[in-house]
Amino acid sequence: MSHSTVPRTRAEADATKKTPVASGDATGPRGGRRRPGKLSLRLRFRRDRVLLLMTLPAVLLVLLFNYVPILGNVVAFQEYDPYLSDNGVVSILHSPWVGLENFQRIFEDSAFWNSVRNTLVLFVLQLLLYFPIPIALALLINSVVRPRVRAISQAILYLPHFFSWVLVIAVFQQLLGGAGLLSQLLRDHGYDGLSVMTDPDTFKFLVTAQSVWKDAGWGIIVFLAALASVSPDLYEAAAMDGANRWRRMWHVTLPALRPVIALLLVLRVGDALTVGFEQILLQRDAVGPGAAEVLDTFVWWNGVRNQDFGYAAAAGLVKGVISLGLVLVANKVAHLMGEQGVYKK
Amino acid sequence: MTPNAASGPSRRSFLASTAVATAAVAGGVPLLSACGGSDGGSRDGTTSGKDAQKLLPAYVAASVVTPDIPSKNGSAVGFTSKLDLADLKTSVPKKLGKGGEVTIMSPFWGSPPKEDNAYYKAMNDLVGVDVVWQNQDGNTYDQKLGAVLASSEVPDVVVVPGWNMTGKIPSAIIGKFADLGPYLSGDAVKEYPNLAAIPTDAWRRSIFGGKLLGLPMPSSYVSGIVPLYRQDIFEKEGYEVPRSCDEFMALAKDATNARAKRWACLDMKWTAFNAFGVLSGNEKSLGWNQVDGKLVYRAETDEYLEALEWTRKLFAAGVVHPDAKLGKSNAADPGPKFAAGEFLVYNQDISQWWSRTAEQATQNPEFKIWGMDFFGHDGGAPTLWAQNPASIFAFVNKKASKSVIRDVLALANVTAAPYGTKEYMATNYGVEGTHYTVKDGVPTKTDQGNIDVMNAYVMVASPAATIAHPDFPEVAKGQVEWQQRTGAVTKKPTFYGMQIVEPARYTNLSNDFEQLEDDIVRGRKKIGDMQQAVSDWKSKGGDKLRDWYQKILDENGPAAG
Repeated sequence: MSHSTVPRTRAEADATKKTPVASGDATGPRGGRRRPGKLSLRLRFRRDRVLLLMTLPAVLLVLLFNYVPILGNVVAFQEYDPYLSDNGVVSILHSPWVGLENFQRIFEDSAFWNSVRNTLVLFVLQLLLYFPIPIALALLINSVVRPRVRAISQAILYLPHFFSWVLVIAVFQQLLGGAGLLSQLLRDHGYDGLSVMTDPDTFKFLVTAQSVWKDAGWGIIVFLAALASVSPDLYEAAAMDGANRWRRMWHVTLPALRPVIALLLVLRVGDALTVGFEQILLQRDAVGPGAAEVLDTFVWWNGVRNQDFGYAAAAGLVKGVISLGLVLVANKVAHLMGEQGVYKK
Repeated sequence: MTPNAASGPSRRSFLASTAVATAAVAGGVPLLSACGGSDGGSRDGTTSGKDAQKLLPAYVAASVVTPDIPSKNGSAVGFTSKLDLADLKTSVPKKLGKGGEVTIMSPFWGSPPKEDNAYYKAMNDLVGVDVVWQNQDGNTYDQKLGAVLASSEVPDVVVVPGWNMTGKIPSAIIGKFADLGPYLSGDAVKEYPNLAAIPTDAWRRSIFGGKLLGLPMPSSYVSGIVPLYRQDIFEKEGYEVPRSCDEFMALAKDATNARAKRWACLDMKWTAFNAFGVLSGNEKSLGWNQVDGKLVYRAETDEYLEALEWTRKLFAAGVVHPDAKLGKSNAADPGPKFAAGEFLVYNQDISQWWSRTAEQATQNPEFKIWGMDFFGHDGGAPTLWAQNPASIFAFVNKKASKSVIRDVLALANVTAAPYGTKEYMATNYGVEGTHYTVKDGVPTKTDQGNIDVMNAYVMVASPAATIAHPDFPEVAKGQVEWQQRTGAVTKKPTFYGMQIVEPARYTNLSNDFEQLEDDIVRGRKKIGDMQQAVSDWKSKGGDKLRDWYQKILDENGPAAG
């Protein structure tokens, strides 16, 4: 909270009162906390009670569905057996405690570290190959002038996002699979068939390509919105100064997108360890866990498939801790770049 | 920690000793032994002798029609002569169902029909119970089972194949399903005559944790998986059925022509295991056998590695259809591609021998599927290992009311009706006119019959292993004779016929072998990786598990025969 948001004069404080807190503006209640003499808790509560009341249902929902289930993580310290009772809570009470055994197993389990490695490699690949594509596409779409062409190309780009992964992978299979269209075409002309769908060495590129095909179009929405907010004056001014198209993009468009890019980048890093569960699960057997096991499928395999829930929960917790660390680092980097990131100190 | 089933603390009472476990952890005692108390839960082990005798239902034989081929070498009984459809017996004279609703979750191999199809309606009508089917893909059933059983929404009836009883599933079965003993043990079963006619061996396998929980599907102890091949194409091309691994490889190379979209086979791992005489992987307890006074697990044997190596060579030679490389999670039903001749041999359940025949009969008259005899890898007679005399069970939810349990038993009494009855015909063929037509006294399945009358009702308790296909008697004959030839070289392993629940801490020990097998045959891992995995397995508990099985063996003695 920078000090500029603290009301300095009576008039400002009054103005603050009328500012709806919900606007996301950081002025107001928290600003007052620094000077308890100005507005007591009771006063502030009285002033905001309607707003507080209005947020209450949402807060309750968040507590009930986001925070209460977090307590279930205690099974990471148990040899949890969900079949001891029909009620999960009773099962937890009856399952034996094993201390840190599950975590000890994780650190000794080469399969776990293999999945961490796969996850990180996939994340880096996607960051390099996937992340820039929506930006480029947004710039491209933005430069299209005719609304009709623009609308149609946008629709075509968005569409794959609405296909389920099962469908997307089936399409890839039919086209690129060992018995697929392209393979048969190659064989007809005397070449060997393709094995990209079952090749562990190129699997990560395949997964990235599928993600690009499916979701890159959808990813441009935020960038398009940011582009729409760039004032045409800036372009005009730049053009007056003799900037060509390329220079205008470099000096006007991209700086305008920078906060959005930084924000999405931080969010993406926070999600780094979540790299397409469904997509990978569907193809896991085609290349084997050595190349395809990521953290999420590891948790699923051990928890759901092998019913080793305590172990899977422990792996999930480790994943959460690593993710948190990554977000903090990414946010720090965003701050160093002079951007806001997801939060500010 | 001795794995002693009788005197150890039960899991529930273990809670009281949590403090001790925690203290032990703090003191640096190895964690595994500290929590090993859960070993001794009453859930693991097996039930035999007098304890089992008390639970088993009385056996009252029922034979409506005398079989044309009697059971030999563990085969099913076969019926090949014409069935007088006009004179079918009624084995359930009075509807026993009380009209309640029963939801059943069951594995399904193929594409499930619509929920309100004519077959389901007719069966529900016949039984007097409103059955609602929740069909799940049979190939990935294990992936759903654990989650469904852990939820509070367990269906009234859950069908569980023995090979899906991995991890904590046996514990779930014991914890979540109803004791059918009060309804079926001893003479009580006589209320349901068709259930009373189920062989005792199958019922013995339905005892879990000291209670009679399952409604069994009796099966022949001969391998249920058959290498099925396109006999018509073999004949046309002049291929001989191979009698050794080398012959198979030569044939496979000869038959494969990727350019013409033809490959020799799918994944032949199963055939390879049989050719090399590898202990069964069907069920954990079947994987153990006593050799020279010592118990050996299948993964420890040389034969196991040799079988994997041969299968790997098949993949490497490019004779395996590319779909088989995808593994099981996204491979489609092989049926259509087999019918299209894209591959010529695959391993499947013996029932497909008939169902593929029936399915293709009208539109593809040339099509002929037949079962190949297992061959010894070197050309000699193979050594095959028995599977259990019942491997698929239907369980009733513990929370189900008495009337639901009665309705389920009424349903089972209909589905277990023997050959030659109206109930058998309805369960296996559906409705006359809709699912099959009768011409010259021979029922022929219609297209709708091939869609609707699949899996479902046959999954809930069945009569003694029966093979009868009045529409294709030559297939029935072929199947029974295949079983008899195969049965002649089939041996029973040490724990044959017993229902054994492993202690919780060992249940996940062998889980990764199957994945590793698939990796090796597809060339992604080396044989050496398997050897490493086996030595890890031993040190992580495999040797202790061996001791545990030895104790069971000492207490119960080896399987009869």
